[in-house]
Amino acid sequence: MKLAYYPGCVAQESGKELDMATRWVARALDIELVSFPSFSCCGSGFMDEANEVLNVALNARNLAIAEKAGLDLLTICSTCQGMLTLANVRLADPKVKSRVDGALRPLGIEYRGTTKVKHLLQVLTEDIGLEAIRAKVTRPLRGLKVGAFYGCHLLRPADELAWESAEEPHAFEDLLSVLGATPVYYRGRVMCCGFPIQFVKPATADKIAGHQIDDAKAHGAEAMATPCPLCHLSLDAYQNHAAKAVGHDLNMPVLHLPQVVGLALGASPDQLGLHRHLVSTAGIVAIAGARA
Amino acid sequence: MDETTVKATFDVYRFEPGKDAAPRYDRYVLDLTPHTPVLTALLKIRAELDPSLTLRYSCRSAICGSCAMQINSKSRLACESPIGPELARDGRIVVEPMRNQPVLRDLVVEQGTFWQNYRTIEPHLILDPRHPMPEGRENPMTPAQVDRFKETPRCIACAACYSACPAVEADPAFPGPMALAKLYRFVVDPRDHATQDRLVRIQTEGLWLCLRCHLCTEACPKEVRPSERIRDLKELAIAAQGATEHGSRHATGFKENIRERGLINEMKLARQSVGLLGLLPQVPQGIRIWRKKPELFRAPHRIEGHDEVEKIYEALDDGKTKEDLP
Repeated sequence: MKLAYYPGCVAQESGKELDMATRWVARALDIELVSFPSFSCCGSGFMDEANEVLNVALNARNLAIAEKAGLDLLTICSTCQGMLTLANVRLADPKVKSRVDGALRPLGIEYRGTTKVKHLLQVLTEDIGLEAIRAKVTRPLRGLKVGAFYGCHLLRPADELAWESAEEPHAFEDLLSVLGATPVYYRGRVMCCGFPIQFVKPATADKIAGHQIDDAKAHGAEAMATPCPLCHLSLDAYQNHAAKAVGHDLNMPVLHLPQVVGLALGASPDQLGLHRHLVSTAGIVAIAGARA
Repeated sequence: MDETTVKATFDVYRFEPGKDAAPRYDRYVLDLTPHTPVLTALLKIRAELDPSLTLRYSCRSAICGSCAMQINSKSRLACESPIGPELARDGRIVVEPMRNQPVLRDLVVEQGTFWQNYRTIEPHLILDPRHPMPEGRENPMTPAQVDRFKETPRCIACAACYSACPAVEADPAFPGPMALAKLYRFVVDPRDHATQDRLVRIQTEGLWLCLRCHLCTEACPKEVRPSERIRDLKELAIAAQGATEHGSRHATGFKENIRERGLINEMKLARQSVGLLGLLPQVPQGIRIWRKKPELFRAPHRIEGHDEVEKIYEALDDGKTKEDLP
């Protein structure tokens, strides 16, 4: 299958390992990623608070780029997924559409709303399919207890975004099972990582991240995995602060979604950029390898 | 309707602070039809099995907002939650008091802070003292004006949103989704005279602690969609006052930041949000992250077609909000 690849800002910058792992997994599963160097930032749920219609217009331009190429759009970030899908929803309002068209038409950009926005998790579980992935597993993550952490904007607000149950999702856990891991169910898996207020009140953001990691741990998780690089920043890069906020060590490796898939499909830790994490992933790589 | 009964297992949270050393879960098994509401089941437990079970309820019709509790970890009205889907998914029904409020006994929580946060936003019309409403006259609005806050009056103050909110859980400075949704209702009411004051005040009183996680919108039984009302409030607050707080500076900084290259410049955004001085305490952490992720201090490339982005800004970045759309 062939998709317009929308990496988002983080995977092109400090979260480069997410881009590396996505490309590796796409190759392994015969997903052709078409790059468009003209894609702009999705607005990340912040920009719309300063000017929602402007944010929608920039995403209409992004969607129009994929539309012109006749491709659906692949996201690898819960927040990009949410913002681009919401743009499609907002543009169904004729008042919004007419103001946005007024800005795009002079540039020769036409938004028709035919491009579907799909997160990698959805493409893997619905389009590629669990059985096809199972067939390619060469290093099953036998026994590795993994807590999926969905990220808010993948499925909420549900009326607009949900492609599976927002309250009781299971796509990620189903995928983890196929990879040989043991999924861990815990309340925090659909909660917030705290990242959105990291610049507003770091102490509160860190506490929220700490709560979710603690919850995963209390339910037996040896690692967490997320389809959102912003959650990854909060749970991995700021985990030392989260530990301070909750008053004890957390020591929880956190993987990006395509890194877990890549590990099971036989990629080397280097190919997946696992050395770029703040919390060491050596332990789980060893466990995964040893138990295989 | 399916009248066949099923064996329904309930694990109900029991705790009397001051008397019990720790909370416990009591198990009750009843024969019920799948469409039985959880509240009806709890009342049956109290009537037939355990008269000491304490819960709060009144109307049993999803109007009074008294019976919000956690049903299999989700904040819900017990009176409109049938047991069937819960049993089908989880095999049992765990009933617990709402979160983020201290337990008084069993399923009853103390709601003082929840109501105090509500009072703080002054949930009533504040009229212009120079133009008091003449005795016996009405103060009419157009249907379009009423439409702007058609969702919020549906709120029954059940506190399900408050219970579901991770910001409330982590920080008492956040007034909670309901209080902010109610504030929005008065901010966009054309009869209210205190709009500007309300927007200025809330910027420093917790507005920017909202995480945009939409858990409140999923919990709300009346589709008030608090997270969207809060989003609208933020845009109105910036339009009214400019970006004065870290939160609003982050939003406007984001907007300016994307304009430059089309992608986010992470380091510059941090500076835009908290200022150079505010960044100082973050320096050790920044270096820690940079050692693993060297792109952190690097500006992103300028996207192709950046001139189009610039032209879209020129056309639409005019200080107008969604509320100004014709």
